[in-house]
Parts: sequence; C-alpha cells; structure tokens
Amino acid sequence: MKKINKILESIGRGVGKVVGAMYQAGRDSIDQVITNVLPFMAFISLVIGIILGTGVGDWIANTLSPLASSLLGLLVMSIIIAIPVLSPLLGPGAVIAQIIGTLLGTQFATGAIPARFALPALFAINPQVGCDFIPVGLALGEAEPETVEIGVPAVLFSRFVTGPIAVILAWLASFGMYS
Amino acid sequence: MQALAKAAEWFIGLFIQGGNTFSGLVVGIVPLLIVLMTFVNALISLIGAEKIEGVGKAAAREGLLYYPVRYVVLPFLSVFFLTNPMAYTMGRFLPEKYKPAFYDSAVSYVHPPLGIFPHVNPGEYFVWAGIANGVTEAGYNIGDLAIRYLLIGLVVILLRGIVTERISAVMWKRSAAEGAEA
Repeated sequence: MKKINKILESIGRGVGKVVGAMYQAGRDSIDQVITNVLPFMAFISLVIGIILGTGVGDWIANTLSPLASSLLGLLVMSIIIAIPVLSPLLGPGAVIAQIIGTLLGTQFATGAIPARFALPALFAINPQVGCDFIPVGLALGEAEPETVEIGVPAVLFSRFVTGPIAVILAWLASFGMYS
Repeated sequence: MQALAKAAEWFIGLFIQGGNTFSGLVVGIVPLLIVLMTFVNALISLIGAEKIEGVGKAAAREGLLYYPVRYVVLPFLSVFFLTNPMAYTMGRFLPEKYKPAFYDSAVSYVHPPLGIFPHVNPGEYFVWAGIANGVTEAGYNIGDLAIRYLLIGLVVILLRGIVTERISAVMWKRSAAEGAEA
C-alpha cells in the first residue's frame, strides 16, 4: 500500500509539474500576443489599409518593387540602411524593418516582386538589427565600459560589411525556391 | 452633398480595407502563434533555461574550433531559450574581447527563427511576417522560406561574429597604442 501511494504521489507530482508548466506557458503566450503582437497588427493593418486605399501602393509598386526585384537593388537598400550613422536611428523596436517588410509584402502578394526574392529581402531590410541597443546589450552581458566604447563602433562598422554580404548569401541560397 | 458622400465613402473605405487586413492577420496568424508559443514556452520551462550555461563556458575558449560554438551554437541556444533581450546576458561567460562580437551575433538571430519559433521575439514578428504574408498571399508555401531564413541566419551570424571580433581586436590594439602615447 505504501509503495502504491508513493508511485501515485510521484505520478501526480510529475503530471502537476507538466500541466502547470503548460498552463503558465499558455498564459505567457496570451500575454505576449495581447501586449506585443495584436497592437502591432492593428498598426500594420492601418498602414496597409491606407496604402491600398489611397493608391500609394501603386507608387510603391513603381519605385520599391524594381529595387527589390534585383540583387543590385537589394544590395543598395541594405547598404543604405547599414550606414553607421543611420543604422542606430533605424533600429528601435525594429519598426522600420517591419514597415518596409510589410510594404514589400504587399508587392510580393501581387506578384510585382518574384517570390524567390523574399529570402534576400528579409536580410536587406534588416542589417541594422540591434544597432540601437548595443550599449544595453553589452551591459546585459556584464561588459566593462571600455568594451562598450570599442564595441559600439565595431558592431556598426561590421554591419556595413556584413549587411550586404548577408544579402548576397541569402540570394545565393534562394536558388531553387519557388521556381 | 454628393461629393461629401463620396468623400465619406472613400474615407471609410480605407479602414474597411485595414479592417479586412486585420481580421486576416488575426485569424490567419494569431491562433497558430499562440499555440506554438505555448508549446515552446512549456518546453523551455520543463528543460530549464539554466542548462545552457555550460555552453557559455565552453564558448569562451580560444581556437578556431570554438568560433562556431561561440557565434552559432551559443547565440542560437541563447536566443531560443532566453529570447530577446535576455539572450544577451549569456555574454557574461565570455572574455571582454569576444563580447561585442557575441552581441552582434546574438542580436542578428532574433529574427531568422521567427517563421518556425515565433516565441523568440513576438514583438517584432513582422520583420518576418510582413514579407512572409505577402508570399503566402501570392499562393506559395511558407515553410521553404522559413527554414532557409533560419539556416542562412546561422551562416550570417557566424560571419558577423568573426568580422566583428576582428574589427574590435584591431580597434583595441589601436586604442591601446593611443593610450601608451598619451
């Protein structure tokens, strides 16, 4: 009897742990969706609605789409975004990357940009990722002030090089996709 | 009067368009996002995020062999288990000279997994979803794009880690030389 009790207890404990973890995970997910995801969806929907409704979409289609449908255009885009002075300004909250991505998305949807350019485009809109956050990110890693002093320009310069290279790598990797 | 009515209709039309987009996003993306995030969050809390600290210590070692550990394995695990922005705390296991490069590498990986693991950065989901949604609307399957984004992301962060490590090493040398002159 004692043995059975012990087994039952450990089963109960294990199940309780798993169920508790899953329930808490569900709560976290719902929290994140409500506080982070849904507000951004509302914002993005407004932007898309205005773009499609006012005809700005046609203008974008004529200017942005040709840029995004060639490797050279995407490289130019990534180089501009990665300029060491601009990149920290374009970084915060990844808002710029998300808006440009959504604008490009509307063009992928109509087929104005071929689908295989989606992969290099994902990298072309994002060479500035985290450039606004370098001192904080390094502080989270318990870096010395001197490391921050070196680290900020080092990362910014590095992006100017690796941003375009990432686009080229992604472009090479996009062969055979959606063809 | 006629013109006013036309203007009003046009004005409302913008938001009908936006509303349709919103309901499309909520119905199309949110349910999957919630269930997927719940699964991964549960998995992480059952495994225990502190288990990856051993990798942090291994990544501090010198040598060519440890580049992929430092700038591929460690950033991937940090971002997967700790998510943005807590992933950067793993830098504390590394010597100062590797910290900028590790940050660069880790922060560059908070978007590439979004197609498959949206829990890493749900607040910036549209870096991925903006383009991915368009590709879906054009009638393509998104899985191929998601997995290639994730994999090429790993190559890119390795490259960023190496390049940034080199650049910061040069800058350190230069600032040390200036310090000696002064």
